[in-house]
Amino acid sequence: MDKKTNIRSKKIARIRGWIQAAATLLTNIHIPNLWKGKIYQGNAKTICVPGLNCYSCPAATGSCPIGAFQAVVGSSRFKFSYYVTGFFILLGVILGRFICGFLCPFGWFQDLLHKIPGKKFSTARLKPLRYLKYIILLVFVILLPMLVTNSIGMGDPFFCKYICPQGVLEGAIPLSLGNAAIRSALGKLFSFKCLILIAVVILSIIFYRPFCKWICPLGAIYSLFNKVSLLNIKVEDSKCVGCDQCLKACKMDVDIRKNPDHPECIRCGACIKSCPKNAIHYQFMDKPCKKKNNDQQ
Amino acid sequence: MKTKRSIITTLTLCVTLSLTACTGKEPAKTDDTQNTTMVSSTEQSTNDTDAKLNDLYQQENQIFADHEDVWNKAFGMMNKSTADPSGNYADYLAGVVESNKSAFTDDELKTLTDDIETIRGIEKQIAETESKNAASAASDTQDSSNSDTSPFKNFSGKDFDGNTVDGSLFSNNAVTVINFWFNGCKPCVAELSKLNELNDTIQSMGGEVIGINTETFDGNETAIKEASSILESQGAKYRNFSIDSDSDAGKYASDIMAFPTTILVDRNGNIVGDPMLGGIDDQANYDALMKQIQSVIDADSTNK
Repeated sequence: MDKKTNIRSKKIARIRGWIQAAATLLTNIHIPNLWKGKIYQGNAKTICVPGLNCYSCPAATGSCPIGAFQAVVGSSRFKFSYYVTGFFILLGVILGRFICGFLCPFGWFQDLLHKIPGKKFSTARLKPLRYLKYIILLVFVILLPMLVTNSIGMGDPFFCKYICPQGVLEGAIPLSLGNAAIRSALGKLFSFKCLILIAVVILSIIFYRPFCKWICPLGAIYSLFNKVSLLNIKVEDSKCVGCDQCLKACKMDVDIRKNPDHPECIRCGACIKSCPKNAIHYQFMDKPCKKKNNDQQ
Repeated sequence: MKTKRSIITTLTLCVTLSLTACTGKEPAKTDDTQNTTMVSSTEQSTNDTDAKLNDLYQQENQIFADHEDVWNKAFGMMNKSTADPSGNYADYLAGVVESNKSAFTDDELKTLTDDIETIRGIEKQIAETESKNAASAASDTQDSSNSDTSPFKNFSGKDFDGNTVDGSLFSNNAVTVINFWFNGCKPCVAELSKLNELNDTIQSMGGEVIGINTETFDGNETAIKEASSILESQGAKYRNFSIDSDSDAGKYASDIMAFPTTILVDRNGNIVGDPMLGGIDDQANYDALMKQIQSVIDADSTNK
């Protein structure tokens, strides 16, 4: 039985790329809108998607949770985004940073970029930069939108406006290509954010997921739940022979044996794939069975 | 092997994306050239109709000149305040003659009624030519906004005090600046005071600024209350209207994705030029909008 689940975990880790593709497609289902330069504005837009997926992507199915959070916090009508916070807690408790590894379109984008061959650098020495994302979460997502407001209490979505490269990639670029009026409204801010996007793209080629490690406030939120999330990774000490293969395989600089619930673990399953003894596997609510629907894909 | 495959996938993706970029721009370009050709042909026809109209007016004047004595007598009885420029001119003349019947001799009356009938015929022709002219002008502007009929042709709405307005809202002014906004939109709120300034500036030039708040559709009371208090806090006194979301104008507003969006509408309810995105609290945007407003006003005065 145990062997079977471990092999199943390996299978899931192997088809991760396809799950990412499917998730990206599902959260950006209105493909024809890309040519029309129009945003879908139906009822599904009142629901958040799990990953960092810009609301202003013409194809987007739902809203970006980080964008929604800032919009509500910055609105004069509400003091705090209770609904979106509840959404974070729910998804965090169920999946944790599994969302980063499997469901986030921007994570997939960085994964693909990293496959471009060339010299790759380790981020092991840049570990202190990890804390930057918590500062960004606190300052740009929560404090600035809440506190820097106009006379009637409205704030800007600071993270979306000044930082988020996903907004340029999914929102500004396709919208301006398909919509002349938006094209004419592009200005300095767009150029600035394009530079951020270009920087992230270049860094993603030489480093693994730099945005997830250092910048992403959504990853920062989910990372807080990694310790308690129902879905996590189990290392069986009885099977482990201490070969260090998992440590070498991990691109997020995590030692899964020491700390299987490390905040930086995005549950990508590289360690599971690398383990020669099949000692590592996914588990859900302490049961070593993986979600069946993923298994069938 | 696997990396190679993914590289190929990424490359194809990039290529498709860049291709989309090209096709996205292409139709826009062809549209532009079509528009310019359209404009020049309509200009020519406008000149033709102008000549025809002039001719018709000359004919009317000739009639008045032919029976100068009696017509001068009739004109002397006219009261400027009762003149209605939009009404039928022949009817108006007939009315004047009718109410002053006793002042004319039978012969004079006969000349007058005969003349009025001729004028009635000429007026009919004038009306036909003018409506044709307006229709072609309308289709011209509609081409540039890429829609079949202007969504503001059958406009109806209510201001925040509950007073109803209809399409005549536009006919009173050479240009109407319509600003689309909603309560939760920070950049929209930021330009409200500037829009109020703009309204004061263009009022003397024959223009008006109106606001359409997409949250106040279908007479949504709470949204209207909130919008009113926002407008008041920003010192914006120009008129704002709540419209039906099912109306053409409502559908047009629902399709807007970026706020604030500002458009210009001429006397006939046709959208002129492209919508402007972004607030006019930005000086560059203000200047661009002002220039467009001026050109609509100029076009309006030459049409007269």
